[in-house]
Formats: sequence, structure tokens, C-alpha cells
Amino acid sequence: MKTTRLLSLAVSLLITLAGCGGGGGGSSQPPPPPAPAPITKAEAFQFLNQATFGATEAEAQNVINTRYETWIDEQMAKPASLQLPHLLSLPQPVFLFELQPDRVDIWFRNALHADDQLRQRVAFALSEIMVVSQLGALVNSTYSLGDYYDVLARNAFGNYRELIEEVTLHPSMGVYLSMLGNEKPDPVLNIRPDENYARELMQLFSIGLVELNLDGTEKLDGMGNPIPTYDQATIEAFAHVFTGWNYTGFVNFQNAYETPTNQILPMKLYPAFHDDGEKVLLGGAVLPAGQGGVQDLEGALDNIFNHPNVAPFISVRLIQRLVTSNPSPAYVQRVASVFNNNGFGVRGDLGAVVKAILLDDEARPDLPMEIDGKLKEPLLRVTQLYRAYNAQSDSGRYPLLASYIFFGQGPLQSPSVFNFFSPFYSPPGELRNSSLVAPELEIATEYQNTLITNYFFAQTFFQNWLIDKTSPDYNEDTILINFQEEVDVAADADALIDMVAGKLLGGEMSDTLRTEIKRVVEIIPADQPLFRAADAIFLTVSSPEFAYQR
Amino acid sequence: MKKLNRRQFLRSSTAAAVMAATPGLAYSQMFGSAAPFSDYRALVCVFLFGGNDSFNMLVPTSTAEYNAYAASRNQLAIAKEDLLPINPVLGAENFDFGIHPSMGGLKSLLDDGKAAFLANVGPLVVPTTRDDVFNKSVPLPPQLFSHNDQQDQWLSLKGVATSKTGWAGRIADLIRDNVVAQKMATNASLFGTNTLQSAEETIAYVMGPNGPFEFYGFSNDPETLQGQQRLAFEAIATANHGSVYERAFGDVQQRAISSADTVLGALRNPSTPTFDGLFPSSQLATQLRTVAQLIAVRDELQMQRQIFFVAMGGFDTHDDQQILQPGLLGDVSASLTAFQAALASLSVEQDVTTFTSSDFGRTLTSNGDGSDHAWGGHQLILGGGVAGNAIYGNYPVPEIGGLEDVGGGRYVPSTSADQYAATLARWFGVEEADIGAVAPSLANFNVKDLGFFNV
Repeated sequence: MKTTRLLSLAVSLLITLAGCGGGGGGSSQPPPPPAPAPITKAEAFQFLNQATFGATEAEAQNVINTRYETWIDEQMAKPASLQLPHLLSLPQPVFLFELQPDRVDIWFRNALHADDQLRQRVAFALSEIMVVSQLGALVNSTYSLGDYYDVLARNAFGNYRELIEEVTLHPSMGVYLSMLGNEKPDPVLNIRPDENYARELMQLFSIGLVELNLDGTEKLDGMGNPIPTYDQATIEAFAHVFTGWNYTGFVNFQNAYETPTNQILPMKLYPAFHDDGEKVLLGGAVLPAGQGGVQDLEGALDNIFNHPNVAPFISVRLIQRLVTSNPSPAYVQRVASVFNNNGFGVRGDLGAVVKAILLDDEARPDLPMEIDGKLKEPLLRVTQLYRAYNAQSDSGRYPLLASYIFFGQGPLQSPSVFNFFSPFYSPPGELRNSSLVAPELEIATEYQNTLITNYFFAQTFFQNWLIDKTSPDYNEDTILINFQEEVDVAADADALIDMVAGKLLGGEMSDTLRTEIKRVVEIIPADQPLFRAADAIFLTVSSPEFAYQR
Repeated sequence: MKKLNRRQFLRSSTAAAVMAATPGLAYSQMFGSAAPFSDYRALVCVFLFGGNDSFNMLVPTSTAEYNAYAASRNQLAIAKEDLLPINPVLGAENFDFGIHPSMGGLKSLLDDGKAAFLANVGPLVVPTTRDDVFNKSVPLPPQLFSHNDQQDQWLSLKGVATSKTGWAGRIADLIRDNVVAQKMATNASLFGTNTLQSAEETIAYVMGPNGPFEFYGFSNDPETLQGQQRLAFEAIATANHGSVYERAFGDVQQRAISSADTVLGALRNPSTPTFDGLFPSSQLATQLRTVAQLIAVRDELQMQRQIFFVAMGGFDTHDDQQILQPGLLGDVSASLTAFQAALASLSVEQDVTTFTSSDFGRTLTSNGDGSDHAWGGHQLILGGGVAGNAIYGNYPVPEIGGLEDVGGGRYVPSTSADQYAATLARWFGVEEADIGAVAPSLANFNVKDLGFFNV
């Protein structure tokens, strides 16, 4: 049933493409470039694990047919799947924290089913760079968090300058890093402007702590030391810039408070609470006194945007989220150059940056090296399994509010503005000894590994109890994965393993994994195909090779 | 440290085989032969993430000094009459002190001589004055006032170096030959991966706030499907993986499954105390309760030296400080008080020292309703071995423009985190010759031991 539908979809896509694609065009003079080598299924999986919430066989076929660049172009043309409309469609509770489960639910619905997969994946990457979190002061601001995520999704292929302005003025960020309500100094009371947003905007969202070359390596001074990008005085200057902003809709700054309406609207400037003095910013740029808070903000964001660090800084962050933990300097430089100029003289074109990241040779090297790729984030391991096996509950909901506990991460559920893991994390052992990083390994602890292995075990094996829906543990929100196809072939261990390898690993499975799965599967009597299928999937999704993104 | 170029890293079976044969990723304590310790000692690091505003934890109550504090802090100041009076036997020669009103338990511990303060401590490379900072005349820890960098400074003591190891990690490496019989790693974290316990040779074991979790799908009986599943899982984890990421991930899986058996086995022994009703309900209390249980089963696990990492977040009080701080400091006080009582019930108070660290102290000045990132701050040291009810280090009167103020009420530490760690490490049993490896900047300071332990 499901298979037939997917198959017919794939077939219809094939036909469509043959209709418009084939042929070649007439009799132009220069010889046509040699036809590119066909994309293999494993290559399509590699690409899709970089560009979506998990490769599926159907989408792989789509990539094979359309090829990478066309696939990216089609994806970028798709409108953003959003969260806020869904949240607003639900009855408004007295306390908005009650909608947090729905916010996480719509995140999973979009991650698993939305057809703007590339946009969703990039939005997720951005949510790990410009971090706000449900855990803390925003727990009761669910509309605001949904809208913040929508800002990231809408701007995922837009311009970084526009993105950073929307982020800066968003009440979620305003609350999370306390720019909202930040007021000009009061020398009598020893009150200075709050430095929180000023500091993290520069350290984490834009330029970082030390000056970078275009290729992402650190610039060094004559003594061989890194060069700080700013000092405390710069932070204080920016802190003065970010004064006077609060929730919109009030006459008086000091009476402003959060409502269901204003938490999704940009913060408003209350001029009387803005510091109107002169500010000296990065590189000695001066914001003149008396130009007002809006001009100050625009000038300050321009000042950051035009800092040479932004291109390599953002490029490295996005490459690490999408493709590899340890990009070569040359790869970074190629991408950062596109950030600086998209080919049409535009700086900060994130769509062009994403395209450059995904189409770079280093994203799919001919000769794979053992430092290529990255560890998948736990959430991405879960979504890949769910997409491969069409995970659904009868209600349609994904009740995964506790995502950050089960998996060590969840949508807008970081423990701090420093994200779930550090881009610089280097685990002890051969990685550190070789000066390599593996950010995702910071949360792949013994403990978190146990929890997620158990989650996979439950998701695969407990089907045996739940699938007939008579178990007392079953309810309409229970997420079930559909592996009927595996059950149907489970009497034949090799056929079963081939099928699982095809859906989860693009057809490429190591000998050890295959041998071990086969050994265990064949212990299970052939008349218990549900167990056999569950075992094959469980051992595959909990394996290092599934956790690895090539 | 060797730097591999990418070509050398070409995937090849030879390279992978060499990597697989390289020791160091398993618990290396298994290989070695130095003399075991004759006693048990544990250090418990309580990290207060976000930067604790300790100017409100320990406050002068003599009139002139309190007034200076109140004028500086303005609406962040604690009312004098609300502060809980303490009577330190050391460090209160010049004026009196009170502690935050939410810390009643701590007051009792101080009164009983089981707790002490270390005043105005923080990362330093060399002894540093305010003028040194203004004149840029001495090396400073890089990226002062930045959360993650200063957490790293506290936990690594790396100063201006680029080390990625932590000081407890280095201790574990130094003593690994002395503790070969231990069934659990010397370093255990109940709050995730951390720099403190990061090492070159040994691996810290990360468990959850309630200890390790068991694997649902596995058993130790190879006659069962679950037993075979476990064997398969382990074979897959330790296979000859092609990428560095898979190998590192597989190593964690293997450690997870082997350690969970041992540690859970001990914790689930019916004789292990559960401390029912003793601990308050909080994340920190839950972690400390588990630490107390692990200490209770130390003999079964043949542990002689342990360093635990527990933590709580929420201290980054840029906003609403006066609303948030009672809950934060109240939790610290109640959890530590319960922990100390649990240790007393196990008769191990003399053997366990608990100490706090935090990103940084905060600005004395206010940003309207909170404080910002600063540098020096006060820390707590607890245990039966501590010469308690005392304030160690130099307590500066909290006053804007004071001698230690580098601007906005950011205080230059008068005691270094290296001196703090060195004193703890020496008590823990690190040889004098090795102290410099634990606290690399100690050599730059005249006082090598802060003297907060009973001799």
C-alpha cells in the first residue's frame, strides 16, 4: 500500500523528468561536456543526509534523477513550512507553556514530512548557531519560539544581514539574552547597559573571539598569538547600542509586558530609554551621538556584518552542521568567498552559501578520507529512522517534548546559548591527538548513548506488543514505525538485511554489521518475523556506521 | 602533538589497524603497577554554570563596609537585616560577615566548622593587580568575561596555553598506576562531558543524575537472545571502523555497556543506602545523592580515589537577579547540607572534600535588574578535612572603584584558581613533584598552599 504509493510517485517523477529533461539541445557548436557519472544510491544517501532530515529511498531516486544542483534549486524555491500558523490554529491556553508539546510536535512534522527539507535542515542548523531555548525564561512564550524558528526558516536562503536583524529584534532573543528591557546608563544608581546580547551576538552569532583568515584559520600577530576581535570597551559600546528596546504596543517602556500578540512582533524602540551618546564599534567605526536607536542598531549590525570574520565564521559553522566536522581551509575559503560575494556582488547570500557547501567536491570526495564527514546529531539519527520507516502515530502527533532528555537535544531546547555542543569540542584520543574536532561527540556520552540505544530498542522491539494496538501501553499518540516490508521478507535473513541496509545506509553495510545482524537474526525462529525485522533495524540504527554521516 | 595532514588520513586498512592498536582509549588504569593508596579520598566539584554572583553570597555586615556594598550594588544589594550572621574564626579580623538569607544550611555547616569560603578567587596566570590590567603589563587569561572560555580556564587551568585537558583529568593520569584495581574510572561526571575531567590517558565516565542507565535490550546470559544481542552490539561497536568519528563513537558505546554492568550492580545492592527523605528535590540534590551512593559502594567497586563532577545551571543572572538568586543559592545550600549529612551517615566526612567553581564572579554594578560577567568571586569548600568556619584568601570590600576593581565592579582575583586546585590536589594525594602538572601557573605564586585543610 504505502510502497505502491511511493513507487508510483517515483515512477511519475521519472516520467516527468524524462519529459522535460532528456534530449539535449539541438546543434550548438562546442562539444557537449561529458555526461556526468550517474549518481549512485549511496551517493544520493550521502547528499540527502547532508541536506535533509534523513535520506529515504524515494528521495534518493529523486536526486539520482534530477542531480544535485537541480534538486537544490527546486528545494530553495519551495515556500517555508512554518510553526506559528499551526500553534495559532490550536485553542489558546491560559499559559502558553502548555503549547510547548505542540511546538515540538510541529517541528517533528516539518522535519519528517515537509517537502522543503533543505530549508528545514538549514533552519535547524541556524537554530544551533543563533540559539534561543525553551529551557529558561521562554518556557511560557511558545508563540514567540515558534515564530523565531519561522524567522530562521524564512531567512534560511535569504541574506545574513536581514537574518541577523530579525534575530536581534525578535522578542525570543530579546528575552533570552536580555536585550529586551535593556536601558541606558544611570550613573547615579551605578546602572550600566546589559552586556549579554552584545557579547554573544559577536562571540557566537557573527565574528567569534579571534580574527580569522578567509579560510577559517586564525590570524596570528608578530608573536604568533591569536588577535582578539574585540575588547571589553567594544562590548560596552554595543551594549549601549542595544538599549531602549522592549515589547511593542506600549507608550511607556517601563510598563511594557509580554502578550500573546506582541511576543511575535519585533521589539520596539522607546527613545527615552536609548543611550544616544557616541559609540565606537569594531575597527574604530563611530556611531555619532544623537542619531537615535534605530540608526544605531542599523549601524551596529552593518558594522558587524561587514567584519571580515563573518564569512569564514558562518561558513565553518554551517559546514560543520551540514557536511563535516573538519573542513579543509581550502573548502572554507571557497564557501566564505561565496559569502563575501555570491557572484552578483551580493554579500551574505545564505542560499548561495548553502549551495556552495553542498556542491563542493569536499562534500562528496572521490577518495573518502577517514576524517571526512561527521557524527550525526542524535536528533538527526532519530529523524532519519523515522523518515525511512514513515513513523506515525494514529493521532498524527509526535509527543516528543522530552526530546532533550531522550536524545540529549531537541528543537530550541539547548541548555544554554552555547548550543548542545561546542564547535571546538575535541574528544580525547586519536581525534584530539590529531587536532581534530567532533562537536557532536560532546553529547555522545556513555549516558546519552544508553538512552538513545534504549529509545531505538523500544521503537523497534516494542512494536511487537503495540502493533495490534491492544496493549495497555498503546495510545493514539504512540509513534509506530512501519516495517511491514521487512517483516514480509524476514524469513530470509539476507533479504531482510539487504532491505534494511538499503533504507538506512543507502545499500552500503560493513561486513561486521551484516555478519552480526545475520547471526542474531538467525537465532530468532523464522516464524517470528516481527522480532527478526525489529532486530535487524535496531542493530543497524544503533551502530556507529549509522551514527556516522559520510 | 602530531598534526596529521589529510593525505596521511586516507582511509586504509593499515592506518585503521594502527589506530585500533593504539592504546589509550580503554580505561588505561588496567595497565600499571605503582603502589595502591592506603586510604580512600574523593573530591566533588560542584560547578555553578553561568557565573555565580557571589558578592551576594558572602557580604560584609560592619556598618562602613556594608554601606559601601549597598551603595555599589544598589537594587541588587541584600538588606542587611536579612543576611545570616556568621562568625568565622579566620578572615573576619577586620569586619563582620553575613551570608545570603537563603543559605541557612550553609550557615549551620559553617558554624559546625565543616565549611569555609575562599574569597575572590579566579583564573590568573601570574599575581595581578588592577594596574597590571590597566597597563597590560602581565599575561592575562585569554577572553576574560566570556562564559565558555572562563569555564575552560577554571577547569583546565591552562592560562595562556592551549591545553585541552582538565586539572582533574591530569590528576587521574598521574595516579592511574596507583589505582589499577578500581572498577570504575577515577573521574566520573553526573553532568555530561566536561573539561575538568578531560585527560590524555584516562577517560572520564559520564553517567546520569541518578547514575548509569541500563540497556533494555541486553543481558549477560549468552544463552538468551538479549545476551546474543549484547555480543553483537559490542562486536559492532568495536569493529574496525573506517572513520575517526565511528571509532570514537564505538568506544563510548563499549564503555557505556561495560561500565553500566559494574556500577549498576553495586548501586542496586540492597545494602546501598537510598538516603530517603534526606535530599531536597532538585537536579543538584539528585546528583549529590547519587554521588553519596557511589561513595557508599566504594569498597565493592574497589575505589580509592574518585573525582566527581556535578553541576547546576541558571547562574547567569543578567535579569531578575533578586527574584532568581534565593532559589539558586537556596538550592546550593540545601543540597550541600544534605550531602554533608549523607557523608556523615557513611562516616566518610574526613575523606570527601566538596568544592564549588563557577564561570566567573559578576559585576558589582547593576544593569538595571541583574549583573554582568566579571572575574573574581567567592567559592565554597566543604568537608570534614576542611579547617572550616573560615574565610581564606583576601576578602575585598565590595565597592566600586575599590583597589581590585578593573571597571564596573569587575574584581581582579587576589587568589588564583591554580592555588585553589593545588591545595585540593595535595590533599587528594598528588605527589608534591606532580603538583605543577596539575596547576601549571602555581609556580608563579609565592603561596603554594592555601591552608584550608586540617593538618
